[in-house]
Amino acid sequence: MFSQGGLSLEQAPPISVVMKFFITASGFGLLLGLYLFANSIGIISHNSYAYNVTITHFLALGVMASFMFGALFQMLPVIAGVVIKMPTKKSMVAHVLLLLGVLLQLLAFNSSIPLLYLFSAIILGAGLLHATTLMVKELAKVQDHSSSSKGMILSLSSFIVAILLGIYLLLTLGGYIKGDAFEQVKEAHYSFALFGWVSLLIVSVSFQVVEMFYVTPKYPSIMSKYLVTSIIMLLLLKLMAIFTLLPTVGIDLILSLLFIVYGAITLHRLYKRKRPTSDATVWFWRLGMGLLIISMSITALGTLTSIDQGLKSISYLTFIGFALSIVFAMNYKIVPFLTWFHLSNQGYIEAPMMHDVIHPKKAKIHFYIHVAMLIIWAMVILFNVAMLDILASLLVIVSFGWLLYHLVGAVKKYNYTQKHTEKMEW
Amino acid sequence: MKKILLDAREMEHPEPLQISLTHLRTMDDHEYLYMINLRKPIPLIEIVKEKEFTYIIHQDNQQIWHILISKNSNYNLEDFLDV
Repeated sequence: MFSQGGLSLEQAPPISVVMKFFITASGFGLLLGLYLFANSIGIISHNSYAYNVTITHFLALGVMASFMFGALFQMLPVIAGVVIKMPTKKSMVAHVLLLLGVLLQLLAFNSSIPLLYLFSAIILGAGLLHATTLMVKELAKVQDHSSSSKGMILSLSSFIVAILLGIYLLLTLGGYIKGDAFEQVKEAHYSFALFGWVSLLIVSVSFQVVEMFYVTPKYPSIMSKYLVTSIIMLLLLKLMAIFTLLPTVGIDLILSLLFIVYGAITLHRLYKRKRPTSDATVWFWRLGMGLLIISMSITALGTLTSIDQGLKSISYLTFIGFALSIVFAMNYKIVPFLTWFHLSNQGYIEAPMMHDVIHPKKAKIHFYIHVAMLIIWAMVILFNVAMLDILASLLVIVSFGWLLYHLVGAVKKYNYTQKHTEKMEW
Repeated sequence: MKKILLDAREMEHPEPLQISLTHLRTMDDHEYLYMINLRKPIPLIEIVKEKEFTYIIHQDNQQIWHILISKNSNYNLEDFLDV
């Protein structure tokens, strides 16, 4: 996809390492939209279990894990000073196994063929464990840890737990093991994946990037020092409670409250930033934090009183909205910067400036599409109107299609600059 | 030696890097870039190392980073450090 020539900065991986994960993530998002659309017009028939786990894993692995691996390969050197040797080769192994593994897993969920469960457990498990253990191993070598690098270790470690539990679940579904603890493992799997992996990673990264990207006041030190550790301790307690069949309501309540406080403080940091104007990425962060607060408030409410399924679904939707908002914000910051940075560093004087790679207005349009998509999905949940279901699915297609189009555009601009413009030695 | 001052403390990422690279490309042997930043600019330092420019990095007692870069190795940049 990319020519690698000219990049010799030791700490920066080639741009292709990041872009292939981002493009794959957008592709999976687009496929998710098509799956939802096919479902909404009744082309595919399924049981509700298959439908739910397919959507969850499309999002959690196809979209989120792909985006996050791409971002981590890029950010580990900058944020934590970690150097991953031979990043192209190592990321390719992770990328191919992830791509193949997710597709096999989604096929397994929708066909229930035992062999597909087995192959997906092996291939997806190997790909995810390869990438996560590689990153944890390199992060562990860092001598002077920041709250971000510590958080990344804990977040990736949570992901490893979620992966191992996921392998158990896949083997159970395929009939290869008895799976006596299926329900407990399933609950622990979701807790470690959503609270431990996705949320903790966003929290850890935000401690660094919110201040750096948006010149905000620093997070309170009590939060940057202890929040991540507290969440991990609570998750471990929850794990023990799940397997000893003790109630986990209290733990869920504290976890939710911690995330509400984090979301509110981040919103406050963004409100206090020095620049009066806000680009789309700031709005994605604001939206993401608002949605996290809504999602966790419903979760907290659910621990205190019984809530109906509609409200629970809104909680899931807002959580998905939170994670996607932050991922989109990071995308529109990382991709233009990397394209400009790599070309500029290679000596291309006519390297496109960041706003030429993806214009801020295009990111703003994506923000509106994303908001519209979330509103329509909320209406689908609340009013259950068939036509809205179709519109919501189409908006998922438009949202990821829009992102994919601009990511491919960035790749084209990168390649064009390398092929058709002059280099200057300086 | 002419000082090119870049106070990046209130600039959003990656403005400091964009501006400093523009200066590094155009500055001559009798100029040096004096950057003040809240963070250690790792990508910039990597580029400077790669280009074999002369540089010093200093963090003052208020945790502010001072980065001095020159293409001319005949000067001792520590003489220009303003802390």
